[in-house]
Amino acid sequence: MVTIDLSRTDITTANTRIRDCGRDRQDVEIINPDARHNIGVGLVEPITVRVRGSAGYFCGGLSDSAHYEIEHNAGWAVGDNIYSGSVVVGGNAGAIAGVAIRGAEIVVRGNMGSRAGQVMKAGTLCCGGNAAFMAGYMMYGGRIIVLGDAAAKVGQDMSAGEIFVGGKIESLGNDTMIVDMEPGERDDIMAFLERYKLNYKGDFTKIINAGKKLRYANQEPRARPQPFFVSSNSNNYWNPKVQEDIWIKGEVGRYRIRGYGASKPVPHLNDIAFVKDVTAVHYKPEDLKDINLKTTIGGRYGAKPLSLSMPVMIAPMSFGALSRSVKIALARASRLSGISENTGEGGMLDEARAEADQLIFQCLSGRLGWNVKDMQRADAIEIYISQGAKPGLGGQLMAKKVTPELAAIRGIPVGIDLRSPSRHPDVLGADDLVIKVQEFREATMHKVPLGIKMGAGRVNDDIKIAYKDGFDFVELDGLQGSTGAASTEVLENVGIPTLSAVQEAVDGLKEINAGDDMDLVMMGGIKDGVDVVKMLALGADCTSVGTSAIIAGGCIACMQCHVGTCPVGIATQDKVHEARYDIDLQSQNIHRYFESLRWQIASITKALGYDDVHRVNRDDLVALTPEAADITGLPLLSEHPALHKPELGLEVLNRKAG
Amino acid sequence: MCGIAGVLYKQAGNHDIGKTLIDMLDGCQHRGPDSTGFALYGEDKDLLQLRFIVPTEETARNLAQENIATLLARHGATIKSEQSVGCSYQIAVDFDGDLLAFTRDVEDHAKLVSVGHTLDIIKDDGTAHELDAIYHVGEVRGTHGIGHVRLATESAVRPEAAHPFWATGFEDIAIVHNGQITNYWKMRRRLERRKFAFHTDNDSELVAVYLADKLAQGETLDSVLETAIADLDGTFSFLVSTPTQIGYAKDNLAAKPMVLFETDDMIAIASEEVSLNRLFPGQSINSSEPAPGTFHTWSRSI
Repeated sequence: MVTIDLSRTDITTANTRIRDCGRDRQDVEIINPDARHNIGVGLVEPITVRVRGSAGYFCGGLSDSAHYEIEHNAGWAVGDNIYSGSVVVGGNAGAIAGVAIRGAEIVVRGNMGSRAGQVMKAGTLCCGGNAAFMAGYMMYGGRIIVLGDAAAKVGQDMSAGEIFVGGKIESLGNDTMIVDMEPGERDDIMAFLERYKLNYKGDFTKIINAGKKLRYANQEPRARPQPFFVSSNSNNYWNPKVQEDIWIKGEVGRYRIRGYGASKPVPHLNDIAFVKDVTAVHYKPEDLKDINLKTTIGGRYGAKPLSLSMPVMIAPMSFGALSRSVKIALARASRLSGISENTGEGGMLDEARAEADQLIFQCLSGRLGWNVKDMQRADAIEIYISQGAKPGLGGQLMAKKVTPELAAIRGIPVGIDLRSPSRHPDVLGADDLVIKVQEFREATMHKVPLGIKMGAGRVNDDIKIAYKDGFDFVELDGLQGSTGAASTEVLENVGIPTLSAVQEAVDGLKEINAGDDMDLVMMGGIKDGVDVVKMLALGADCTSVGTSAIIAGGCIACMQCHVGTCPVGIATQDKVHEARYDIDLQSQNIHRYFESLRWQIASITKALGYDDVHRVNRDDLVALTPEAADITGLPLLSEHPALHKPELGLEVLNRKAG
Repeated sequence: MCGIAGVLYKQAGNHDIGKTLIDMLDGCQHRGPDSTGFALYGEDKDLLQLRFIVPTEETARNLAQENIATLLARHGATIKSEQSVGCSYQIAVDFDGDLLAFTRDVEDHAKLVSVGHTLDIIKDDGTAHELDAIYHVGEVRGTHGIGHVRLATESAVRPEAAHPFWATGFEDIAIVHNGQITNYWKMRRRLERRKFAFHTDNDSELVAVYLADKLAQGETLDSVLETAIADLDGTFSFLVSTPTQIGYAKDNLAAKPMVLFETDDMIAIASEEVSLNRLFPGQSINSSEPAPGTFHTWSRSI
């Protein structure tokens, strides 16, 4: 037994020591814990950690196969996301005990706080005392045993799993019901209690999901494939798309769901031009080899940064929204072009990990597919707060796509209309997020860059929070960002345009004198190398492309991604449809598209007079419309001083002004 | 977005409340690195104690202090002692007029952050220890106090936007708050119609003004906290202090953390147990987490 004194050892040193002990198969004793956070986080060895006192937040979190014995109390989120092993809390546990567990046994001898077992997938969470309100909130599986009383809304919005309550139940949550126990169930519970020496002789009330809200009452019909441009640039107010939308709402009686992003015209990079004439140059790729496009992302706190061959990433898109084949093709294309791929929501595929040189692993509110082992083999971690397509809402994955294979990796029941939570269970404010950031750092030994993905809403405030909370990079997604499924009204109307987002972000960081150590990755409607350079000139460090990469790889932009029967095998989990997708062919197409971006980015950089893309700046830009000038603060073309200096020979400007 | 702490010693006497709150706030400083503040209750003084936030630059500071002196003279308040420290200007005045009218007028012209015969609010940008170095908070003794560490989310980082907030027009009452009041503008407009002034866009100021308004109508602290839970929308755990009491209120969703620990001698409340444990190093304490939608008050002996 190795003793670690937390009154003399900082938590990172302590956790490193605990991991070393794990490798040596030596148990650890923590003295003077004094409710400090993140004790034993990220441990993946089968040793026992004994905490002689109280632990703070996330004790035993993001671990697999270890055992934790906490003599007294535990703070929020004890055993967060634990895969296997056990945690025993001698006293009380704070809110969200056993959040997002994928297995393991968590026993709290005293009382446990609100929302215990939120989004848990498997395993057992047992409480010897009383459970505060919303025990089993949004749980996807596993069992919760409460020997005492359960406060209001037990099992609120649970999808599956069982909750057994020995004492009084204040009230049941939405879509739950009380059922009789099955034969053998009581014996199983009694054997469990015996193992943990919990003395209980009484009866149980069993609560499960009532199955009334797992699916939409009316399924989304397949719409006539009308290409994107029909609905966007038409000047017919009651155009065919609008009529169809109204007809279908008349049929299903609710909001519509579709894929893709906002289709209405909003101020964008098209409304900005370069102040110099970049059209006259015709560089060949070999003329451009001295132009630096290399981009490193995420080095702010000494983690190993992503090293990109150009300021482009692949945007987060899930295995789930997209087929396995597409995720493999994207991962391969990212490697061939020396950029990064991103898992999106829903877990990391082994094949994608093997194909991608640099892979970002995304953590979402439902913790679907989230686990410590994949964290530790990721090249960057990204906490998803929201996305441009649907800020403030969780992901949607319609039942057709929730196949047994997909349900297994995500840890959810097969065949439900999956509506991911809109909030993280353990991040209810910027203050909680600080501790979450520290937990992720501990779980990855401070070696992996940590980013935050945000949909553009109150960017000026949010970017400051991201900076203060200690992120290495921000991936910021404007209104035009796409999705696999969301309500059309949200897609079209919620959020601010990408152009506004980048300006607010740059301004916000300047207001707090943040310098440039936190990297800003902009996304939402980036379609070519021209957009990339404009975005960098506006102040971004990098860009991220999702829709354009998918289109390069065969998407026909029919916007029916939510249906699950994608005709080209992209947005589907149907094997027949997926078989139409040629990974070798499409990965090459995507790769060649990326290389076209590279060529354009380098050409424009050289034409603007630089040898490094990161030197482009606002002075290189001019706004073409009053709206774009207003949003960005760039000079409006007609008022630009260069116009009045014909000796500079700015033909493009003159031509356009004429 | 913040961390909160409060302590009340049940027996009258001179307890080291400054040092206690510094320890507790240092324990949760990770929740709020931008600014820190203390509301400390010491002995009952004959003179009214006022603390203003003033510019740190000398010329501007002198001008601000002259303006304050003119304002006070207009209301018949005589300055008996004064002290400039950090970003604040602390004075003791002889005043026995209408405090509400007085403070409303003063607040319109100067950044008044603390008013009372027993209360002193000290707040500034920086950490608990940084404030201690400037304001010597650790030397303050008394019966109880509340404190706050702040991570600015929607309003600016400025000393006057730091917590605690005093309850406008009412001496010796202060609040600290962790969370976000989502019906802020609606509630603010209602209170503004009743002639309450707001000096920041900080939603926690609203909590202070709301409580002040209710207390002015003669309600008890308990009943004010009860209605606050119904009227305020959003996520919150907040603490309120009066010359003889401290209390908490917690939202219906229990979205913001708060734990408390009570002995025969004292009650300590904090966002996280790590703050409580600072007072009892190396020991396990039997803390408890209040249920959602609850409030409670504690009184000291007098």
